[in-house]
Amino acid sequence: MNPKAGPVATLVKVLLSLLYGVPLLWIVLTSFKSSADVFGTQSSLLFHPTAQAYRESLNADLVHALGQSALIAVGTSALTLVIGVPAAYGLARTTGWLPTTGLGLLIVLQMMPQTATVIPLFQVFGSWHILDTTGAVVLSDSALLIPFATLLLRPFFRVVPPELEEAASIDGAGMLRTFWSVALPVARNGLFTVGTLIFLLAWGEFLYAVNFFLTPGHYPLSALLAQQVSAFGINWPGLMALAVLTSIPILVVFTSTYRLLRDGLTVGAVK
Amino acid sequence: MSAPAAPVARQGGRSGGTATRGTDARTPARYRRRPQKRLVFLLPAAVFLAALSVYPLIQLVRMAFSAVTAATLNSSWVWTGLTNIRTGWASGQTQQAIVRTVVFVVIVTALGMALGLGGAIALRTRGRWSGILLAVMVFVWALPPVVNGSVWKFLLGSNGLVNTLLLDLHLRQTPAPFLYSQYWALGSVAFVSSFAVIPFNALVYRAALLNIEPEVFEAAAIDGANKWQEIRHIMTPAVRPTTLVLLVLTIVYGFRGFDFIYVMTYGGPGTATNTLPFLGYLQAFVRYDFGLGASTSILAVLGVLVLAVVYARSIRREEADR
Amino acid sequence: MPALAALGVLALAACSGGSSGTQATGSSTGGAQAGGQTITVWHYFSDPNQVALMDKYAQLFEAAHPGDKVVNTYVPYDQMDSKVVAAAGSKTGPDVVVFNGAEAATIVLGGGLLPLDDYLSAYPDKAQLPPSTLHVVNGKTYAVQGYVNLLGLWYNKDILDKIGVQPPTTMAELETDMQKAKDAGYGGITLSGLPNSQGEWQAYPWITDAGFTYDNLDQSALANGFTRIQNWVKKGWLSQEATTWDQTVPFQTFAAGNVAFAENGNWQMATAKANAKFAYGVVPLPISSTAGIYLGGEGEGIGTYSKNPQLAWDYLTSSYLAPDGQLAAASLVGSLPSRLDVAKNSQVTSDALLTPFATEIATVGAAYPSAKIPPAGVAAVQTAMGQAWSAVIGGQQSPQDAAAAAIQAVKKASNG
Repeated sequence: MNPKAGPVATLVKVLLSLLYGVPLLWIVLTSFKSSADVFGTQSSLLFHPTAQAYRESLNADLVHALGQSALIAVGTSALTLVIGVPAAYGLARTTGWLPTTGLGLLIVLQMMPQTATVIPLFQVFGSWHILDTTGAVVLSDSALLIPFATLLLRPFFRVVPPELEEAASIDGAGMLRTFWSVALPVARNGLFTVGTLIFLLAWGEFLYAVNFFLTPGHYPLSALLAQQVSAFGINWPGLMALAVLTSIPILVVFTSTYRLLRDGLTVGAVK
Repeated sequence: MSAPAAPVARQGGRSGGTATRGTDARTPARYRRRPQKRLVFLLPAAVFLAALSVYPLIQLVRMAFSAVTAATLNSSWVWTGLTNIRTGWASGQTQQAIVRTVVFVVIVTALGMALGLGGAIALRTRGRWSGILLAVMVFVWALPPVVNGSVWKFLLGSNGLVNTLLLDLHLRQTPAPFLYSQYWALGSVAFVSSFAVIPFNALVYRAALLNIEPEVFEAAAIDGANKWQEIRHIMTPAVRPTTLVLLVLTIVYGFRGFDFIYVMTYGGPGTATNTLPFLGYLQAFVRYDFGLGASTSILAVLGVLVLAVVYARSIRREEADR
Repeated sequence: MPALAALGVLALAACSGGSSGTQATGSSTGGAQAGGQTITVWHYFSDPNQVALMDKYAQLFEAAHPGDKVVNTYVPYDQMDSKVVAAAGSKTGPDVVVFNGAEAATIVLGGGLLPLDDYLSAYPDKAQLPPSTLHVVNGKTYAVQGYVNLLGLWYNKDILDKIGVQPPTTMAELETDMQKAKDAGYGGITLSGLPNSQGEWQAYPWITDAGFTYDNLDQSALANGFTRIQNWVKKGWLSQEATTWDQTVPFQTFAAGNVAFAENGNWQMATAKANAKFAYGVVPLPISSTAGIYLGGEGEGIGTYSKNPQLAWDYLTSSYLAPDGQLAAASLVGSLPSRLDVAKNSQVTSDALLTPFATEIATVGAAYPSAKIPPAGVAAVQTAMGQAWSAVIGGQQSPQDAAAAAIQAVKKASNG
């Protein structure tokens, strides 16, 4: 890979740094303001920083919600990958009307407004007697994300050279084994990336969580975040502080997969 | 990852390295004879989605052709055929929403794809800046829409940072009405929506670019290829399958774009940012005319169905090229 | 008072025993047996003062019912109605729902609430509850209100002193004052121009001042009201940005100190106290005596699938409807008590910020939503009027066009 960046690439990087750095800076600055300072024009950069919003956010509820979020995100990622990865592989390796229709259906499902799915799913979970359980949220989040994950993963399996699988099957490997030990490793960049994305999306999902949990104390972080905005007032510092706090685990997950991606690349480059 | 995998993968890498026009451009005849056995891999997804996704889809379609309000939601629905669609059309809101949705989708797709690929290419280089920038982008992407939308609402406000800069640099005499002019508002929410999709596209593109073997670039460098030639002849063809799926996902994202409109303009000023998904939301969950709202949503789904057919056909062609 | 309440409990235990249709759910032990029962309350409050009030209500109930427990559950405002309706579809839901009173019809039509008529007719303090605070749908009462919320004119006293004026009592004075404030480098007024029910709620005083009502549907009067607000934008008294403001942001903007007036509610008292670093006050909106200001606030009802509706009613009577509960609401969040006797309490009448609102209730208080609009059409009417209001402020439509479009939409929604 080419390590040097040309002037155009540098320009793009400067642009992106501004586009994403400024809002992030603004979020962090607001989280350290008192709510009286948020709307004062003269205090946009000069203000008395206070960690009050963080002190108010850091409590037992937050820790509990963090656990819920982790459970939901891990459960959803696992279930989505277990179902979505084979489906993506299957769609990449078959032809004919069936997989084509399947792909079309996935796109249509991806298009469903999430709000329109809440009420029917409420009925389904009600009849299964799993309302107010983490399982219901994991199932619904997975249903939301599987079409997305499958569509996204398919191209990564398309680029796995079929000769590799041919060679493995000549060596006597079965279909499952070929998938597991030939296709999966080659598609690993895509797997890590999509896995990370699924985790982050499940972490932030909010609509299903506030609808399918009926008792307090089950809500994940995303629902706590929503509580900062009400019809009677918006706690801006609180919202921004919670946004920063709830996203720190995201950063950890991303950084570790980023390492994996980079190291994976290095392994390839040495050979 | 199991141990025997690595050498195979490396071997694959070496053989793939010689092809510069798309790494997946060969499918031996032997392979094509028995592909359908692999349909079995679709089974878990088919069962799962049939249980949890198809029922809501059927309900949505049924709703679109029935009279469903808060009063009848939990009882039986009366089939009314095309009444809902006619009602929406007669009000004139549907047509306006379609035009706005198309404008919205075009902006989101153009910005999202161009800056997604551009960002991935620019961030391909290793180094601290790229690493931190990518982390910042993903961090911001993962923030909930209420946070990103609110931040941009502040930044684009008449006393916001953007307008302060525009006034201080004497680029404008009065604050730009980003969110409250009927002409600017749609563009502004579309811009913020694309802002929220660029990190995702960049990340996926980056993963696809990482799949190109370094030897390809080395060979190109020996042949004296410059940066643009590398992008045109190596990177763009290699990520073509990814481009196709990202294009589909970005267009779908644009078609269902709702969150930022909700947070930033609530469809306003007046009805200037009422796109199909937002109009559908207003009808179904503000006015509690579920039938009318479902029919509006169905229109958006139909638009995407056309897209799905195009996608499926382009995939056919991709396979026929082999 | 406790004796009376106990009497009510006895009377109702007798009449609810036979009509309880929800025993099939299992864990219900039926009746108002002492101890061990849980009352689930769905609400959408997250403001610290309002959360404190919910805790206070729980304490009041638990003190009156030792051993029983209240579980307050937050549901986001936007999800409340649909979640209650969806839950009812699955034959479940909370014991008590606290919701936006204006949307009672939606929840009732969706089967989310039980009629309260039997409980109310046996309630000894029924005479203290004005009919405007009871939510009646198709002839049955489904929700009560513990307090009333409404809009007034907040003013920044420091700015008014600087430009040398008194708080306005007429529309002409208000407009003169806004011009003076603008000349001195301040903003004139903040209000919500959001194209939804919040916008309609904020527009109502001004459009009724111009002569419009949902009874007369006078298009030229509505256009006059719209012309006035568009003029405020043209003169620079009101920022066009109002089209993106809900009711919270304009008040926070006012509290930052650079705007002379704000059209906003009594519930903002805590925000004013915490954020405003200037002297402020409230006067009634300077509208004509024939105009109206909506009387809003949360409705409280009993969920259809409550396992113990009797105990849920006891919760309401010992919190929202009890005098000490209503006084707690007044002191914690600045709410105006709904009970006639509590409204005369000196704690309320001596409060300089609450009295202008109390005056408004007596002179221009209007039923919210207007009784003229059929229940099923309320949301459509509010949305259409909010969109017209927003379109005028944002300059998307002329006042005449917006008025014509709004009246057409109102007529359509009223005809079903």
